[in-house]
Amino acid sequence: MTDELEDELRRALPATQVRGSRIRRRRGSDAGRSRVRTDSAERALLRRDASVFDGGVAGPVCFPETAAEVQAIVRIANAHGRAIVPRGAGTGLAGGAIPLGAPIVIALTRMNRILEVDTINRVAWVEPGVINLDLSKYLRPMGYHFAPDPSSQQVCTIGGNLANNSGGPHCLAYGVTDTHIIATEVVLPSGDIVMLGGLDPEPDGLDLRGAFVGGEGTLGIATKIAVRLTKNPPAVRTLLLSFGHVADAANTVSAVIAAGIVPAAMEVMDQRITIAVENYVHAGYPIDAAAVLLAEVEGLEGGVQIDADRIGEIGRAHGATDVRLAASDRERALLWKGRKTAFGAIAQIKPDYYLHDTVVPRAKLAEVLAQVYEIADRHELLVMNVFHAGDGNLHPLLIFDGREPGVLDRVHEAGAEIVRASLAAGGVLSGEHGIGVEKQAYMSEQFSDDDLDHQNRLRQSFDPHCRSNPGKVIPMGHSCADIQALRRVPTGVWG
Amino acid sequence: MDLTIDPDELNMCVQCGLCLPSCPTFRVTGDETRSPRGRIALMRAVQNDDAPLTPEVLEAFDTCVQCRGCEPACPSGVPYGHLMERTREALADDGSLTPVWQRWALKPLNQPRLLQIGTTAMAVAQRLKVLPDRLGAPADLPLRHHALAPSATVDAPGRETVFLFTGCVMDVWQSKVHAAAQRVLEAADVAVIPTNRLAPCCGALHTHAGLGDDARARAEQLIGALPERPILVDSAGCGAAMKDYGHLLDTEAAREFSARVFDIQEWLAPRVDQLPQVDKVPVRVAVQDPCHLRHVQRVHEATRTVLAPFVQTLVELDDDGLCCGAGGAYSVLQPELAGLIRERKVEAIDRARPDLVASANPGCSMHLAGAGVRTIHPMQLIDAAISKTPL
Ligand SMILES: Cc1cc2nc3c(=O)[nH]c(=O)nc-3n(C[C@H](O)[C@H](O)[C@H](O)COP(=O)(O)OP(=O)(O)OC[C@H]3O[C@@H](n4cnc5c(N)ncnc54)[C@H](O)[C@@H]3O)c2cc1C
Ligand code: SF4
Ligand code: SF4
Repeated sequence: MTDELEDELRRALPATQVRGSRIRRRRGSDAGRSRVRTDSAERALLRRDASVFDGGVAGPVCFPETAAEVQAIVRIANAHGRAIVPRGAGTGLAGGAIPLGAPIVIALTRMNRILEVDTINRVAWVEPGVINLDLSKYLRPMGYHFAPDPSSQQVCTIGGNLANNSGGPHCLAYGVTDTHIIATEVVLPSGDIVMLGGLDPEPDGLDLRGAFVGGEGTLGIATKIAVRLTKNPPAVRTLLLSFGHVADAANTVSAVIAAGIVPAAMEVMDQRITIAVENYVHAGYPIDAAAVLLAEVEGLEGGVQIDADRIGEIGRAHGATDVRLAASDRERALLWKGRKTAFGAIAQIKPDYYLHDTVVPRAKLAEVLAQVYEIADRHELLVMNVFHAGDGNLHPLLIFDGREPGVLDRVHEAGAEIVRASLAAGGVLSGEHGIGVEKQAYMSEQFSDDDLDHQNRLRQSFDPHCRSNPGKVIPMGHSCADIQALRRVPTGVWG
Repeated sequence: MDLTIDPDELNMCVQCGLCLPSCPTFRVTGDETRSPRGRIALMRAVQNDDAPLTPEVLEAFDTCVQCRGCEPACPSGVPYGHLMERTREALADDGSLTPVWQRWALKPLNQPRLLQIGTTAMAVAQRLKVLPDRLGAPADLPLRHHALAPSATVDAPGRETVFLFTGCVMDVWQSKVHAAAQRVLEAADVAVIPTNRLAPCCGALHTHAGLGDDARARAEQLIGALPERPILVDSAGCGAAMKDYGHLLDTEAAREFSARVFDIQEWLAPRVDQLPQVDKVPVRVAVQDPCHLRHVQRVHEATRTVLAPFVQTLVELDDDGLCCGAGGAYSVLQPELAGLIRERKVEAIDRARPDLVASANPGCSMHLAGAGVRTIHPMQLIDAAISKTPL
């Protein structure tokens, strides 16, 4: 039965070399490798993404190169009653791309072409495996970029961004991914191909595009995406403010927004993370400040200077000990590189992290932060805070060494308390990383049973048999699948 | 199996994936087993969880170019190069990697005479057009080898005197580069001692292949042979290996030696004013940073500093220093992947529309030349500008 499945998949995805290659294929060579992988190494690696969660085991791993191939895989999966899991770059932090049970993994990394750019209508059609930053770099000479800029943008895919409705520092001014997705071609769990949304400003009927964005792979697979292009701003100012207390930084953020300024980005990092980051980028971050605020304003030359000055004043009024304006593009790029690699830099301190992602009302930032530090202390854990302050999007990082016995339990307990503290302050579960398997259990703390049933009904109308990324997002009891069965790991695969 | 990797170093990777796009093999395959994050996870599985060494696991390690593009991309500072060197050495010792024929193939690198006979044979074969292309040999292998002579000014008062490391493969295959490098140094009033047979081989290829004992023997030999003076290297791969002797041997003498090793561009950059002022060569030159200059030695900016006064237009490639696929012997051992990786590089070069590509590593030059790219060593460019020879 399994062999039959593999044979069918191999027939659907004949071994090709990477597209466009002029290199002749040799037997047994790497480039001519099968695009259906069943070996234990591949399957073990794809158990994980960038989160702390360990999945089941990837079933056959497929590398399709066209929508038709994705469709063929989905149909074969259906015929065999097997589940599927789409995967982009595997940088998800909520376990969205990890396999539960032994589903067929559909890795979209080879569908990475930028198909069409239309600067007049400000639309580009891309395949889902295009890397976020690659798209913006490609658009740069034309004067445009793709606005959502998750800190992982150098590696995460547009398909993953769409599925997680990802945010990024500059989403404060531009809105998260959803705002920038105009239409998407989808291979539904049934195997049918549909187009959701459209280039018309006001497509007819229900906004199914809106329903699909943020679906975390449970509603089908995006195979072609129309993204909105954002014009590069004529002028930018980047400020770095230092503070003696984390609360001062948080209060400055609220005050800036209250003053009616809409910066393109406002990011806070506490001292521990600033030290780790500075150690990597050497951007001149002050390592003696309790917290730093990185703020950026964009727009016309005259306006940005005024806004930058006002942010500086507001900062000083709230206790900023230093206000620095990035003097060059290079300095600005370095400061951002530091902020964007923050999560990655922590292994300098401890080898494991568990990153949380909650949103609290901006006015409560300082208060919730104080609780976060207190919770971590109580559980004898180190916590670092780096967050999209402008949105009230907190990212407390609990850092630890997984080899220490019992530490994971403490991490999970502290994590749960942090989430509850955020909810209690009137916040929500996930700012941008999605629910995946991580936040599933908390869904019922934010939503009523009714809410969850309705969400599940929407999901079932896309995926009646619960075969697309089963076991994610919607918690057990509200979900259609028997999740217990998903946790079973087949024998014969290590890792 | 114990790969003898330091457990703390192995434990450093947090799996964030930020290194993936800097990895040439991941870029062309989109496959986690061809990525740094995946390879590290496999090392962990083998060393910590005793996962079996299946052919696929070995393939994952074997397909790594060892370009170390993943290192500067990693905010956690995972020392990937060390992890991979340990892995290769453990697996080569165990007989799982680096088959016997490869070990023998690396032997003559230490034997200038043997190597020369081999090159002459290849040069003849090339002229008879029976040399297979996949060996990636340069188009004009020399039939005869001329050793460079030390400058007349060695140890003259007020002169800096340096060693110019002439290495093995490159020495016979690309002796023109050394000759140009020596002329450029002399034009800057520097006296040069070419190392020739004093220091036949740096051991970089041995390290890559996991032949640690051979590599350490080469290192000891060089350390004994090249005392006191700065050692300038015009091959990025050799320079990187020699700067790493301190780590390789872990002795005071080795660290002292490594501190005296400089890439020739790196060493010349602060002395660029000592070079004569001449008309710029009217060409558009794209700088291709060899991985071992950019990712390992991290002194690639120097290439621009030394070239700027001598060429009309310097352009950057837009691929963030992604590897070209040459990787020591990689292009011979993994021709398919090396070819795919090269295609990406060639596309980036095409976008920059240069007349010439300057590369400070013979391996990269040969590999790119194999795809029809016109390459030149920065020292040859400066030499041509100073001597007003047309390119
Ligand atoms: C260092 C670091 C920093 C990060 N910073 C941010 C940040 O600032 N903001 C933020 O929002 N996130 C951030 N993230 C999280 C993560 O990068 C984003 O969620 C990203 O969008 C995931 O993209 P991916 O390609 O890696 O997707 P994956 O992790 O591979 O998949 C994510 C989800 O999308 C689904 N999926 C993937 N492709 C498709 C498709 N074509 N069709 C349907 N479903 C699909 C998967 O099934 C999975 O559920 C960060 C992660 C890291 C490691
Ligand atoms: S050394 Fe190069 S090929 Fe190997 S994992 Fe790192 S980036 Fe990839
Ligand atoms: S090697 Fe570094 S960048 Fe790559 S996944 Fe590991 S921690 Fe992240």
